[in-house]
Amino acid sequence: MEQRRADFENFVAQNTDALVRTAYLIVWDLPEAEDLVQEALLKVARRWHRVRRMEHPVAYARRILVNLALGGAERRSRRRQELTGEALADRHDQRTESNPVETQDELMRALAALPPRQRTVLVLRYFLDLPEAEVAAAMKCSLGTVKSTASRGLARLEQTMRTTNDTRSIPT
Amino acid sequence: MTEQLQTELRAALRERAAQVPAASIARLAHLDYHPRTRRLRPPVAIGALAGAAGTAGAVAVVISLSAGASNAFAGWSPTPTRPGPDQLAAASADCQTQSPISGLPLKLADTRGPFTFSVYADANSSATCIKGPTFTAVSNNTTSAPITVPAGHILLSSSHASNRGGAAYSWADGRTGDGVSAVTLNLDDGDTVQATVANGWFVAWWPGAHDVKSAAITTAAGTTTQTFDLGHQSPCGPMPCAGGEGGRSSSVANGVGGGGPVSASGSSSIIGPATGSASGHSSASGAGSGSSQGGAQSYGISR
Repeated sequence: MEQRRADFENFVAQNTDALVRTAYLIVWDLPEAEDLVQEALLKVARRWHRVRRMEHPVAYARRILVNLALGGAERRSRRRQELTGEALADRHDQRTESNPVETQDELMRALAALPPRQRTVLVLRYFLDLPEAEVAAAMKCSLGTVKSTASRGLARLEQTMRTTNDTRSIPT
Repeated sequence: MTEQLQTELRAALRERAAQVPAASIARLAHLDYHPRTRRLRPPVAIGALAGAAGTAGAVAVVISLSAGASNAFAGWSPTPTRPGPDQLAAASADCQTQSPISGLPLKLADTRGPFTFSVYADANSSATCIKGPTFTAVSNNTTSAPITVPAGHILLSSSHASNRGGAAYSWADGRTGDGVSAVTLNLDDGDTVQATVANGWFVAWWPGAHDVKSAAITTAAGTTTQTFDLGHQSPCGPMPCAGGEGGRSSSVANGVGGGGPVSASGSSSIIGPATGSASGHSSASGAGSGSSQGGAQSYGISR
């Protein structure tokens, strides 16, 4: 029993950082991300006697986290678009010229506005660098769905960036 | 463009992820996620108490808690207990000074040993306050419109929290529909907790982080067992949940129900004798065992 608990504590110590940052990118809100990670780890703890025997316990934790995050994602997305969109719009109004920071701000805003599933795929692929098969496992969907969702997400980001650049280049 | 976009995307994600404070990660990494395993019930104790009828469960649990990993909740019982002299007054004095509660009328107070769990609410806002020997913790929720629960049902909000001493506790509170006279919660580990019911509200809490699986709801027509899907995005489900659905959230829940859009939000904090730190929507202050570590919250309506 003591060894099992020690294993779990070691698991938490090793993986909390990545889980919190991943959750933060998916839900775009720190308190929400903290709660999701706490809830996910509580669930892992309850099943640790089985999870610890898995080849990749963190993949299991990630799957729970993604499931929890997407479970309430739609309403959060609406709220986030209202809040973050306004905040970033204010910053945008104050800018006068294009620079790399500006581009990243636009990208951040575009990311925040993505549908939750598209952003989740992109976070798992481009932040965690997971292979598509592992993304599919984390999201409990097919490989084809991952490919198409990622493709749509990137296209949407690209479109947003292109529109922004076009707008920016219009002489005043 | 796509390759460039992917490069920029990786950089943007890294930058965004770097905004997570180290303190947030450290806090989560040091929580005790094993607050309570299945309760240990020594055979001798069970045998000795087997004939004690109604009190057997309560005593067995007290024994198990004192024998378990944490005695932070010593004195807790799965059934409400009679409050001690001045217990309610002391809890009220402590709780009503907290801003989430100020101005809200008291709906009910649940006492279990030295702990008093109070619910304050008006039509759109509610706040809970748990006062124990070493800490006082407050949480609150608001909804954008009053919610009416169907007769014979309950709207349940379930939350988990843990203190710095490594002891987790959970609670469920919410509104009762007309005719509900008693509620007993069945946890996912098989244990049961009897709620306090009054004034259209119920509340129960328990050590540990087990979820509510179902509830036995008593009305004049008898007792029915109703299950919950706390992860359900539409907790009103097929029920005519007038005023809208509750949603499921740790901090914000909203949705559109039969009565129009309703949103709910909440936060929690714990009050102690010393200054401390705050993180996100959950804040913590105090010393020793009297400090909240935040929590997770779910909503569901009985089906």
